[in-house]
Amino acid sequence: MSFDERMVVARVERLNLRELRIWVREGWVRPAHSEAGPIFDELDIARIRLLCDLKKDMSLPTDALPVVLTLIDNLHQTRRELCALTEALEEQPEGVRRTVITKFRAIHSNVNEASGDQ
Amino acid sequence: MSDDPYKVLGVQKTATQAEIKKAYRALAKKLHPDLHPGDSGKMAEFQAASAANDLLSDPEKRKRFDDGEIDASGQERQERQFYHQYANQNAGRRYDAGPDMGGFDDQSDLFSELFRQRQRSGNASGQEFHARGQDLRYHLDVDFIDAALGAKRSVTMPDGKGIEISVPPGIADGQTLRLRGKGAPGHGQGPSGDAFVTVSVRPHPVFVREGDNIEVELPITFDEAVLGAKIEVPTISGAVSMTIPKGVSSGHRLRLKGKGITKGKGQSGDQFVRLKIVLPDKIDKQLEELATRWRDQISFDPREDLRRKT
Repeated sequence: MSFDERMVVARVERLNLRELRIWVREGWVRPAHSEAGPIFDELDIARIRLLCDLKKDMSLPTDALPVVLTLIDNLHQTRRELCALTEALEEQPEGVRRTVITKFRAIHSNVNEASGDQ
Repeated sequence: MSDDPYKVLGVQKTATQAEIKKAYRALAKKLHPDLHPGDSGKMAEFQAASAANDLLSDPEKRKRFDDGEIDASGQERQERQFYHQYANQNAGRRYDAGPDMGGFDDQSDLFSELFRQRQRSGNASGQEFHARGQDLRYHLDVDFIDAALGAKRSVTMPDGKGIEISVPPGIADGQTLRLRGKGAPGHGQGPSGDAFVTVSVRPHPVFVREGDNIEVELPITFDEAVLGAKIEVPTISGAVSMTIPKGVSSGHRLRLKGKGITKGKGQSGDQFVRLKIVLPDKIDKQLEELATRWRDQISFDPREDLRRKT
């Protein structure tokens, strides 16, 4: 599904056209370009709803939004990478898998203990 | 979890609207599912808090709830798709560069980071910065016929650069073309990003696509239906002549082999022509007399089968 600016504003009740354009200009939302203007998809709309929550429900100041977005974007990138790594691991022979998991748990619990001591 | 919206938000029944707003705000900060992707407990709590807020933040609804006119569950919220549910999928990569849009998409992943660390510890001079240019997304509206037969289209990318896009024959609505190296230029020795062009196919007033086949509804006169005829039929590649057999009914489908969509080399789809008998707007005397005479002489009941089966 694809939506133009007006359809987005109609779908997301809490949003007006001016805000949407500012968010696009700032690069917080990055729609596809077309000759008729920006075109948004479901992912963009979900991101716009998240921005509305951050700004309106949690009343985050505008200056803080890019900071929070950066953290969220980093988090998702990391989660996707972890997912891919888990998938790659799942395809390994049982022995390799067990070695990696044991090693991972050893490092992980060491780190936890170390930080717990402070 | 409590059903009572006051308990969910942790406020008194006598709370002011401002207190309710404040309580919800605090919960939203703590529980928002996009801040805790994968935590279904927090997601359920957040949804309960949102529902409670929907009810109590509206003084009208709150009064009706207090008066017992509606219950808390009567306020079902529409199932919402949260951002993290999309961002976890591959399409989420679009926002990996973060919100600054510096123009560079540092394609480092888990492992390039690992190798970089190795390099750094081995040799300290690796100071140059190379990054791949950012991917650009473009949306292209294409006419039905251009999508069916393929076409060349020139578009202006957001950075003002014009590029020529070959739309391959038979492209479907919503398909994405990847143009390697047509994105933003890279930094240092980094390669350019890619351009992703999502194609929307405009519907056609006559042709309808079903896979690689084309469906057309063809109006014919009653005499063509009775006597058979040779008539011109539009196809995506121009009009062709087609023979209509004697005595066809509305709904009868004829096949024009190979007149559908051809993707590259290899087999083509077909065009299916669905006949529809159409009478003139005004029935003249002659036609009326003809029909009367026919009715009086012939006993044909097209609904016989229908009656038997019901």
